[in-house]
Amino acid sequence: MSRGRVEVRADLEAVFREHYARVVATAARVLGSRDQAEDVAQEVFLSFGRSSVPAGEAGGWLTVAATHTALNLLRSGRRRSAREETAREAPVVVPDVADQVITRDERSAVRAALARLPAKQAAALVLRHSGLSYAEVAAALDLSPGSVGTTVRRAESVLLKELNRHASPE
Amino acid sequence: MRHPSEGILRRLVDEPAGVPDADRAHVAGCPACLRALDTARADAGLVGSALAAPATSDVDPDAAWARLSTAAAATGGSPAFRPSATSARSRWRAAVRRPAVAAVSAVVLVTGAGVAAANDWLPIFSTERVDPVEITATDLVQVPDLSAYGDLQVVREPEPEQVADAATARERTGLAVPEVSDLPEGVTGDPTYQAAGVVEATFTFSAAKAAQAAAAEGEVLPPPPAGVDGSSLRLQAGPGVAAMWAQPTGVPTLVVARVGAPTVASSGVPFETVRDYLLSLPGLPDGLADQLRDLSTDASTLPLPVPAELVTSSTADVDGAEATVLTSRNGLFAGVVWVEDGVMTGVAGSLSAEELLAVARDLR
Repeated sequence: MSRGRVEVRADLEAVFREHYARVVATAARVLGSRDQAEDVAQEVFLSFGRSSVPAGEAGGWLTVAATHTALNLLRSGRRRSAREETAREAPVVVPDVADQVITRDERSAVRAALARLPAKQAAALVLRHSGLSYAEVAAALDLSPGSVGTTVRRAESVLLKELNRHASPE
Repeated sequence: MRHPSEGILRRLVDEPAGVPDADRAHVAGCPACLRALDTARADAGLVGSALAAPATSDVDPDAAWARLSTAAAATGGSPAFRPSATSARSRWRAAVRRPAVAAVSAVVLVTGAGVAAANDWLPIFSTERVDPVEITATDLVQVPDLSAYGDLQVVREPEPEQVADAATARERTGLAVPEVSDLPEGVTGDPTYQAAGVVEATFTFSAAKAAQAAAAEGEVLPPPPAGVDGSSLRLQAGPGVAAMWAQPTGVPTLVVARVGAPTVASSGVPFETVRDYLLSLPGLPDGLADQLRDLSTDASTLPLPVPAELVTSSTADVDGAEATVLTSRNGLFAGVVWVEDGVMTGVAGSLSAEELLAVARDLR
């Protein structure tokens, strides 16, 4: 056997403890489900454990990996139905922004729309709203730095259209 | 001066320092831009709220670390692995024998159902990748989801399902699940079995829909050749069976699958015309498009639908059949696929190529 298995890197626990909560939060942003987000985090850290990503870049790498993995899960349509999901989940913490009341149904609609967005738009949107800088989003998605704003803006317009459609009476 | 673009205004909301001084100065004195900036800011706030994550402040890193340590110890840190990408490759392999099928397989990778596969290869930092880890019966038989480019009607559903054992899988599909005589080290327990019937779909190209899809990417649709608008393809794939061994976390360690190769038939213009046009649509990676064009003129090579920087491929003999061996450059996973009599067999997992070849040659 010429190729042995890759050993788990020694700094995995330190990186895990530093970044776990944020990785779960990133995946939960996409999936709207804490349970599924924790599953995604497990896979992401397992892969990180076998990677040679420099520890200094771990934060960005993990955020990007969690975003892609969660979006893939969301797009694969294998998750439990949004309705079933929201019935079980803890209340969502909405940032304190005046006049912004987002209902659970609307959040489901937004996640459905997120699943339908072109892959790069969805990823750019989630990465930006997870706190990555424009330069980091550009590097992660192979976009030119100038086009990140355009991509994010376009994704936001589509999502809001979806929200408004949802909010207006049938 | 010209008004800054919406993208620049959007960045102004988040990172004013990243916007050129000239643009900032313009916006400060331009009522129209200030209004647009306000709208962008309000939209960003609304989307931020809509995308708010469920509360995660009370996650338990200790319990999560215990779970991860167990998984890592059990699997040697088995990575996430995506078997459906293998089934896409498998269609490729079958395709080499039948160029018409090949092109559809190629298109699979860049549209619809293939989006899932293509997404997996999106670059992330330091060229590492993380893939989802599920395999379901649905992964076994798929036709390309071309719905962004026309009307896709599923004529026959594959009704994929997990079945109790190999005998049931065979009964459902007529395909025998290949039997592994000696499990490689690190693969334990009983496999789960997946079975899926034949899936059949009709795709009718619509220039109007394709134009919408292009517009969503900010592109203009190239004009379709005569006869392409409204032309139809009939796509068929399956049946398929698979046995999968996994760790308790659900991370697959070994997958053995057998799938009927897909076929395509066209009505109206020749299939090649539709394919070539689809290949010309915006958003198709250049490298992949080149490989596709090579495929139609020279069926003797095996172009791989995965970026060369991710996977290396080679060939090996599996009991007289020429098999394609795919190994991820990061050493995380490998796969071996070959075709005999229109049936593809694949072995893949978070094992070395040598281990997988041993399994492949030992299948009964």
